[in-house]
Amino acid sequence: MSNPLTLAPAPRSEAAERVRAEVRDFLAEELAAGSFRTHVDTWLSGVDPEFSRKLGERGWLGMTWPKEYGGHERSAMERYAVTEELLAAGAPVAAHWIADRQSGPNLLQYGTEKQRQEILPRIARGECYFVIGMSEPDSGSDLASIRTRATRNEAGDFVVNGAKVWTSNAHVSHYGIVLVRTAPVDTSNRHAGMSQLLVDLSLPGITINPIRILDGGHHFNEVVFKDVVVPADMLLGEEGNGWHQVTAELAFERSGPERFLSTYPLIAEFGRRVAETQDPAGLAALGRLSARVLALRQMSLRIAAALDRGELPNIPAALVKDVGTTFEADVIEEVRKVVDVLPSLESPDPLARALAEAQLHQPGFTLRGGTNEILRGIVARGLGLR
Amino acid sequence: MSDQDLVVETVRGLLAKHEPFDPTPERRWDAPLWTALAENGLTGVGLPEEAGGSGGDLADAVAIVRTLTAGAGAVPVAEHLLFAGPAVVAADLDLPPVEEPMTFALGPAVTAHASDDGDGPGRFTLSGTVTDVAWSGAARHLVVLAAGAAGPVLALVDVAGSEATDAANLAGEPRGSLVLDDVAASGALLTSAQVDELKARFALTRSVQLAAALEQVLAWTVQYAGERQQFGRALAKFQAIQMELAEMAGEVTAVTALTDAAVQALAHGDATFPLAAAAAKVRAGAAVEVVARLAHQVHGAIGFTQEHKLHHLTKRLWSWRDEAGSELYWSRVLAEGLLAEGPDGLWPALTRAV
Repeated sequence: MSNPLTLAPAPRSEAAERVRAEVRDFLAEELAAGSFRTHVDTWLSGVDPEFSRKLGERGWLGMTWPKEYGGHERSAMERYAVTEELLAAGAPVAAHWIADRQSGPNLLQYGTEKQRQEILPRIARGECYFVIGMSEPDSGSDLASIRTRATRNEAGDFVVNGAKVWTSNAHVSHYGIVLVRTAPVDTSNRHAGMSQLLVDLSLPGITINPIRILDGGHHFNEVVFKDVVVPADMLLGEEGNGWHQVTAELAFERSGPERFLSTYPLIAEFGRRVAETQDPAGLAALGRLSARVLALRQMSLRIAAALDRGELPNIPAALVKDVGTTFEADVIEEVRKVVDVLPSLESPDPLARALAEAQLHQPGFTLRGGTNEILRGIVARGLGLR
Repeated sequence: MSDQDLVVETVRGLLAKHEPFDPTPERRWDAPLWTALAENGLTGVGLPEEAGGSGGDLADAVAIVRTLTAGAGAVPVAEHLLFAGPAVVAADLDLPPVEEPMTFALGPAVTAHASDDGDGPGRFTLSGTVTDVAWSGAARHLVVLAAGAAGPVLALVDVAGSEATDAANLAGEPRGSLVLDDVAASGALLTSAQVDELKARFALTRSVQLAAALEQVLAWTVQYAGERQQFGRALAKFQAIQMELAEMAGEVTAVTALTDAAVQALAHGDATFPLAAAAAKVRAGAAVEVVARLAHQVHGAIGFTQEHKLHHLTKRLWSWRDEAGSELYWSRVLAEGLLAEGPDGLWPALTRAV
């Protein structure tokens, strides 16, 4: 009767509720002090190193990692509560987001002792930021087709040539975990011959070119590698094991509440408007949106609980991301149907601004981190169809 | 094997002997299946033994309802176990023998007069018409929310002698009206908070059924897509079909997660239970459109006929989503509840709701 994608319900966590209250108080103080302004999709667009450091000081980065690497040995459920509060408030979390979410866990699992010691405490302090080096100009969903390659020079170091794209916030980040081809394509096994390199983005030969998204914002970049020498000890994990490692990294990339809360600040503004007008159609729309938020929270909490059990629930994570990112976009249409408002980035009306920001970011929701078509393919596999 | 697994196995065993059928005016429910369930003590699960039930908890009762729903059993077990029975127990009324089916209805047009027939407090006389009574004609007892002089009254009435009009929902399940003409009933006054919880419990009952039916429709559709061959391969091998099945799975998983959480909220006696139930009903109702549409699309013409079993559950889905309060009703209740603490209170309310 139950479908194979359903995870066990998440147990209630008092520790998570305690830290949630702390984060909420902190955010209220920061908002009152004017240290940030709420925006939509801030885990892409809200770069604020000062804010990231404040989170680090409070122990809200690297939360689940061992203390010896600057972590705090807290549960995934507690981390879930922290990230959810930050996203709902539209706080500027983009600087550290990737490092805290997936690069750190990837280093923990595959990094050498030296790599962990050097980098993880800096991430946990909110001082060291990472980019994802997966997509390329000719490789989007078909990640196995990447052409960036690394060859060994006489000293045994890697020489990297190629380009990565859609590289969020490379211009403010310190490192990238870059998927490269270290062996020629084996047509009988396309997933073989790839490796992950830990690349210092300040190395000679790296050029970072901005790529502007629809609202003119500079978040994406093209990162070009021309004969970049990456020391041999910056190999992450095992040579040739890149595909496997990337798959594990994607489980972290796909499983969090940012996959359904990117447009929550728009819902919050819409809620304020409905509270004021008590418009029956607005109330109904808000109720429909809220029911979807509540379902997604339960799905996402189940993933956090699975992480706490030591599982890496790839397939349920793909499913939640599909449902969640579809929802993020639907928010715009639900609001538009019942509120008479012109979207505008410059409007004094916060609802008009949130609507404009959400609309111009919307195409990205169902693309980044694996398109929804790719995700549904993974879900179909989970259903035993392929 | 846990007690709950054992109960589920027993129900499955009984279902195997009872083919789903299309309820008709001549045969509106599966009386033999009910009898079999009652004989196995399954119609008292989740009701306390001291009140005449068979013990067990809410989760056990939910497991029975889910199993019967997946098997399209035409019996009033959801109303009986998840709603009417617990409501009677909570109101401290005498529980009728659990072998006799109970149902529930909102009775906005029914008045309850406290009677001085010598039976003491808790006795009422009911007058008025109750519409949309689930399993009218099949249920022996009706739990009805009536209007009393001093406030709302939860009344329990024996309707064995009352004639029900012959009406049904889209799935053929009886939904007739009953005329109560000075009928004696036991009853209890309710506070408005108790009324809210009661309505929420009614909604949750349908949500549990919706969730189970959605799961089963997905399972049937995955199975069918794996068996049906076109263009020399199984439907399941076509990407277009895979996308549809994955979309169905997303909806089903969302409904299950939220419904489970609402059941937990009820089991824990959370103050926010009415909001959790409202959300579960809205979410389950919204999933019906996607899941039923795509299930029929994948099944093709055979699913559009009574030759195939699919309709037993899709017709129930289309019925249940509008029963026990529509999506429109519950979405407004949910929004009003979430905004109760003011325009900035939405997020804190969402994180408390379930």
